[in-house]
Order: sequence, then C-alpha cells, then structure tokens
Amino acid sequence: MPRLKARIRRKLRRKREPRLIEVYEKRLIEALKVFRIPLFMLHTALTVGTIGYMLLSGGDFINSFYMTVITIGTIGYGEVVAGSDTLVGRVFTSFLALMGIGVFTTSVTVIVRIFFKEDIINLYRAIKMLREIENLEGHYIICGYDKTSAWLAGTLRKRGIAFVVVESNPEALKYLQEHNIKYFIIEEPYKRSVLVSAGIKRASGMIVNLGEDTKNIAVIVTARLLRPSRDDFYIYSFASTDGTAEKLEELGANKAFVPSKLLATRIAAYIFHTGSAFISDLFDRIAFGEETDIDILELRVEPGSPLIGRKLKDIDLRRALKVTIIAIRKPDGYLDVTVSGETTIEEEDTLIIFGQPRNLRRAQRILLEETHRLTEGKL
Amino acid sequence: MRYKKIVTDFFILMALTTNISFITSPNPYELVITVATNLAATILKIGEGRVLSTEMLASSLVADLHLIPALFLFFADDPQEAIGLAQGALAANIISVIISIIETILSAFTEEE
Repeated sequence: MPRLKARIRRKLRRKREPRLIEVYEKRLIEALKVFRIPLFMLHTALTVGTIGYMLLSGGDFINSFYMTVITIGTIGYGEVVAGSDTLVGRVFTSFLALMGIGVFTTSVTVIVRIFFKEDIINLYRAIKMLREIENLEGHYIICGYDKTSAWLAGTLRKRGIAFVVVESNPEALKYLQEHNIKYFIIEEPYKRSVLVSAGIKRASGMIVNLGEDTKNIAVIVTARLLRPSRDDFYIYSFASTDGTAEKLEELGANKAFVPSKLLATRIAAYIFHTGSAFISDLFDRIAFGEETDIDILELRVEPGSPLIGRKLKDIDLRRALKVTIIAIRKPDGYLDVTVSGETTIEEEDTLIIFGQPRNLRRAQRILLEETHRLTEGKL
Repeated sequence: MRYKKIVTDFFILMALTTNISFITSPNPYELVITVATNLAATILKIGEGRVLSTEMLASSLVADLHLIPALFLFFADDPQEAIGLAQGALAANIISVIISIIETILSAFTEEE
C-alpha cells in the first residue's frame, strides 16, 4: 500500500507542459461551465412543477410535465391536469408561473447567448484544426502573418505544400480566414507548446517573419532546441540588417534574408539584363519558385551512387527521366556550365538539373533509391 | 470544505439512493425524483475540469439515457421494462459513485503535494 501511494504521488508530481490542444479543450470545458446555472435553474423549475402537479393529480406524470412546460413556457393552453382547477391547484400554478416564467426566459436567453458566443465556436474550430495539424507531415511553419507571409502562403499553396501559420495577434484572424488559410494557430510562436502543436517535430522547415529581430531570435532558438539538425529542419528568417542576419544564422537559421536588400538585388538583376528580359525573368521566376511548369533541382552525388564515373551521354537522363543536367558544381565550389555528353560525374559533385517539377521529383527519388540500394548491397 | 463538491456529491449519491429505492418499491414519485436528481447530477458535472470528470459525465449520461425512457415506459403501462432500465441506470450510478471516490482520493494526494 505505501508503495502504491508513493507511485501515485510520483505520477502526479511528474508535471509536463500541457499540449496546446489540451489547453484549448480545458478552456472549452471552462466555457461550457457557464451553462450549468441556467440549466440547473430550468431543471429545478421543471422538477418542482412536475412533482407539484403529480401530487395534485395523483401521479399523472405526462400531463403534469406538459402542464409545467405550458405554464413556465408562457403558452398556457389551460388547466389540463386533474386537480389544477382546485383552489390549491390555482395557488400552485400562480406561484409556479411567477417564478417559472422568469427562470425559463432567463435560462433560455442565457443558454442561446452562450452557445452563439464567438469564444466557444472559435475554440471548437481551433481544437478541430489542431487535430488536423497533428496529421500533417513534411509541412512548413510560417511564424508571423503579414503581406509577405500572405504572398508566401499563396505560393506554397500553388505548389501543394502544406503549411501552418502561427500568429500572435488575434486581429490577424480575419485576414487568415479571408485568405482561406487552412491551418493557423493564434498564439505566441516562441512558446514551445505552440511550436510542438504546429507539428515542428514532423515539419520540413519554418519561416520566421515576426517583424522584430528579438522576436525572430526567440522563435529560432526555441525551434532549434526542438529540431537541432540544420539538415533535417530548415529555418528561414527575416532580418533587419546584414549583421542581424549573420547572428540569426549563427543562432540556428539556415538562411536569414534582409527584405530590402533582396528586393534591391532583384530589381538590379532586371536593370543588368534589360536586353534579355524574358530569359532573366524566367530564371528569376524559377529561382523564386514562381514558375510552376519548370524548376531547377540540386542533386548531390553521394558516395556509392551508380552515377559516379559515368559519362552524361551514357546515363542519358534526358531520355530516361525527361530531365536535363545543365551544370555541375564541383566540391570546391567551381560551377561547370559547359557540360557535354563527355562530361564524367564524380563523387561529391552536385548536379544542377532542369526540368518539369514532376519529372525532377521522380528523378530525385529514383536516383536516391538507386544509391541507397547499392550502398546497402555493399554493406 | 468545498461547497461545490458537497452539492455535486449530494446529487450523485441522491441519484444512486433514489434509484435503489425505485427498484425496491416502484412508484411514480420515486421515479420522477430519480430522474430529476440524475439530471441535476449531470448538469453539475458539465464543465468540471478534474481528472476523471469525463468518465463521470459519461456515466451520468448513461444513467440519464436509461432513466428518461424508463419514465415514459412506466407511464405507458410497461412498468416491468421501466424497472429493467432503472437497474441498468443503477449500474451506471454505482460506477459514478466509485469514480467520485477515486477522484476524491486522487485530489487528496495532489493537495498533499
């Protein structure tokens, strides 16, 4: 017995941070608590009325209940219960009507008002959404919702990439609903429980755009504690200056962007290529993921890959997988843009492949599977 | 002493005792009081955010769903079936009381902490 007591104590002592869904469920239960008083009042009025009329009529439940309902519901069809037309019956009906009508109308009004209160409906929706987020995998988390995030969300949606928006400002809710954002959480994104609920442990990456560097730092640090590997989980952040961008990258971001610099660079690119506007625009759109029909993929030639030592004309990816190798980046960073059929693929090379997204994904899958199969075979 | 707990526990126990008394000596007043106390217990359990509150609410709803049809059957000249349903409700009410006791013990442990 003392051992059992100790075990129960240990279990109760082991406090863990509650999941966001649990917090919301608790809030919903708390919100439902307000139903109790009006329901209890209504229940008491109905019980007193029914038992009273039953005593008057000698146990006629159905009619007694009906008489109570029509009395306190201000319908008043008449004295349908035996004994209600007596002196005692009329005194009882008078008291029941005086008390019951007030109770009935108040209770019904309160119940209807509570039921349609925004809080309860929003909480219910939030719980439902969190349950759906639990099933997401390989998605992205967008922290902060402004115009840039809205554009980003639109682009990701166009590509069929699932994402969850985390925004602390409740006023953003109407914009999120207007923009048909499927999954969003209105909470502070630097909280561990919020990031866990956004599915950080199953996500592919995260975009941090909170408008302030300090807030961005807090989110990046929390996210990196949950997902330490930079190769498995990508964090892209916004920064106000080059210096901050460096710090954010040191703290855990894979890449930090300075929006004004990025915009200036892009405009400059147009200025430099005024003569070939279509091509520069096309490359630009591909690089920025706006061109959905064509894409570029980087594929690293891992040790043990079947491509090592083979010439491009031999593997003929153009015919076999409908993709083209347009350049090869060497391990020392040199970019070979003059690849031909005679070019030989070496270990640790990075192939720059051009093609339709569907074919690129297929090529990536097949080549990776092949490498995996060969490496496993050797082992 | 928590007054809210006194009221809730009063109705939970009252639901059980009136249920037993209806089964032992079936009469319309007993049945109506049983239903009333059961419904009151259910209402009081709504929104309770304690450890076993969901189980408590579920067991109470089970008892209600047995007793309300029993009430109509009893007055529709099928008292035998009504008693059968009340026996089913009794099982749910016993479970409700047991859960209430377990929860009291658990909360006592938490308070000690």
